[in-house]
Amino acid sequence: MREKLVTFVRTHLRRRRARTDGGEVVTERSSGFVSDDFVSSLPYWLPPFVVMGLAVYGAIAWNFMLSLTDFQQFGNPDYSNLDLGMYAQAFGDPVFQGALQNTFALLVAFTLCCLVAGLLVAILVDQQIRYENTLRTIYLLPMALSFVVTAQFWLWMYNQQNGLVNMFLGVFGLGPYEWIGDPALVLGAVVFALIWQFSGYAMVVYLAGLRAIPTEQFEAARVDGATTLRMYWRVIVPQLKGATISASVVLMVFALKAFDFLYSLSGSYYPPKGSDILATMMVRQAFNVGHRAYAAAIGIMLFLLALVIIAPYLTYQYRRGEL
Amino acid sequence: MTDEKNSGLSRRTYLGAAGVTGAAALAGCGGNGGGESSSSGSSSSSSSSGGSMNTLELLHGWTSGDGGAAVQSMIEGFKQEYPDVELNVKSIGGGGNTSLDTRINTRLGNGNPPSSFVAWPGKHLLQFTDADLLGDIEESVWSKNGMKDAYLPGPQDAAKPAGNYVCVPTNIHRMNNLFYNESVIDEAGVDVASIENPSDLADAIAKVDSNTDAVGMAHSTQAPWTTIQLWAAVFLGQSGWDAFQAFMNGNGDKAKIADAFKTMNKYSEHYNKDASTVGWKEANNLLINGKAGFFHNGDWAAGMYSGNDNFEYKKDWNHVPFPGTESFYSLNMDSWVYPKDNPSPEASQKWLSYVGTKDAQVRFNTKKGSIPPRSDVPMDEFSEFQTNQYSDFQDSEAQPPSVAHGLATRPEVLGNLSTAINQNYSEHTDASANATAQAFVDAFNN
Repeated sequence: MREKLVTFVRTHLRRRRARTDGGEVVTERSSGFVSDDFVSSLPYWLPPFVVMGLAVYGAIAWNFMLSLTDFQQFGNPDYSNLDLGMYAQAFGDPVFQGALQNTFALLVAFTLCCLVAGLLVAILVDQQIRYENTLRTIYLLPMALSFVVTAQFWLWMYNQQNGLVNMFLGVFGLGPYEWIGDPALVLGAVVFALIWQFSGYAMVVYLAGLRAIPTEQFEAARVDGATTLRMYWRVIVPQLKGATISASVVLMVFALKAFDFLYSLSGSYYPPKGSDILATMMVRQAFNVGHRAYAAAIGIMLFLLALVIIAPYLTYQYRRGEL
Repeated sequence: MTDEKNSGLSRRTYLGAAGVTGAAALAGCGGNGGGESSSSGSSSSSSSSGGSMNTLELLHGWTSGDGGAAVQSMIEGFKQEYPDVELNVKSIGGGGNTSLDTRINTRLGNGNPPSSFVAWPGKHLLQFTDADLLGDIEESVWSKNGMKDAYLPGPQDAAKPAGNYVCVPTNIHRMNNLFYNESVIDEAGVDVASIENPSDLADAIAKVDSNTDAVGMAHSTQAPWTTIQLWAAVFLGQSGWDAFQAFMNGNGDKAKIADAFKTMNKYSEHYNKDASTVGWKEANNLLINGKAGFFHNGDWAAGMYSGNDNFEYKKDWNHVPFPGTESFYSLNMDSWVYPKDNPSPEASQKWLSYVGTKDAQVRFNTKKGSIPPRSDVPMDEFSEFQTNQYSDFQDSEAQPPSVAHGLATRPEVLGNLSTAINQNYSEHTDASANATAQAFVDAFNN
């Protein structure tokens, strides 16, 4: 869209300018506001532009308007009396504060651990080992599974009496822990399950990054006498900055969408205490309780949180001139 | 020259195409916007676009198992009665009607209601009647088939939450049964008949735990509703019907509410250790497999027993009314609701009339494991357990509605109660019992 506009402006300006070589033949017909390029490109970008504009940005704007009303359940929202009351209510609501904290904790812990786990696995898989493709597939496989499946699966794993996790820890004389029932543990348990599911994605992104680094650099580091650890830390990992940033954006968006997982964990909109996040709270307020305006306000704040996360990525891309 | 002409023509075509696309997109959005802002105005147009005028669109939540078979059997009966009505039945699964309610909420909110849908009657429907979204079916449905005489007052009141009839209840589940495994209880040396109140039950549970390998009580705390319904049974058993009614009306006594939670704290010491990760079916399996002594849940739990050939009523399992609630039949019902602005008024009324007949209720309830809300249904096709339940129902002094299923309170209050369980009652201590009780009292102040 932006490019089209730029070309449109450029061609438009060029036509008016006198050129030293006498210029090209300018056809009379196309003078005026609408240029050839603009018109002929119209069918390609206008429909998606209109649909996106209304369905995405229009909906966000509408949602914001809704969050300023006191709209509840059915009937028509009253747009005549707009205020930030719902936002004030949210910050005074201990459930919201808990959900915000959990969302943030989940986001940070999940993204960081996932990146580290993915990087380690990627480096190991990159060692020119046998069955590399098989291993790569195995690591990536959990991502192909639906949250509904993995949530049930992890419920069994975390079972206090006969779950594999407690049985494994029992070998070392630890536990058994109530992973889901204990509010202090449940968020950690959820994060671990999500890492299991998504570190494969981080691995694939890192693997691509590693493959792009020329072999000469590994060899040069070796010749200069760097240890393996030092070689990766000083030479290789710094070059994976791009991969890190793009992987972390995707992972963070996944973290915000952890709704499915938590929903499947309890089979209701009330996830176990200690694991409530903004997404579950929003759906609960909108559809269980009918506080539509309040839910809209929570949605807007979730959206802002997502924007805050994406912003550094956008600035980075912009600085590198890729935007 | 021809090139010029061609490109000119095609450009005009492009422009036209783009304009049409844009206009269509705008019109589509405008239509939606209208649906949101003027519910009655656009609803007729959106419903006509949903399908042909006479298709009967039914939404329910029974995807499989006993519920699925029950609704299927009732639909078969309807087809025999009214072969000319075209059916479009959609089942939307998900624990405790969660997904179904969300879908219904959205569709009614958008002014695009189905012909009829399943929902809990009673105060749960006030959210719709407040917005004038349900139609009056007293004339068209309730005055036929002798329905007004056949339904007992409890279910009939639930069918008119705001004064006029808006739905037809099809089945009644009992909420105050206490199920037990005969052999486990025998082994523990517990005399069930001597358990008179909820705290006696705590002693019996402890006895099962210490005298056998089984846990005292099977329970699921995965979602809040199982805890709410156990609390309601304990509360009714300890504090009685008046206190229960006061609670429903928002005047609950905090100390009595807290006492019920404190009694539950005693039970909780003898729950299965994995209560937080299992659903009610898994908990019920513990009782079937002899790994638990007692189990409290709606009488759909008995449906699992009758589905198991090696687990017989009165030999392997039995039940008593929850201690202290002998004279009550705590009920949970499902009903078919009639939305106003109905896409197929005639077919919907046919359906609802049929749902209220003896034939439909025998078909549905024999499979579902519940009892019919009509009092004149012949019971010969029902199981022994159901027949006993039916006579208990007719002899009951009062029929307290289910809190956990939204019959007793508005959805908003139920939401607050669920949040209270979730936030305050994950540890089973006196402090958390008091905190939850406070939150239960506050749940009504909104």
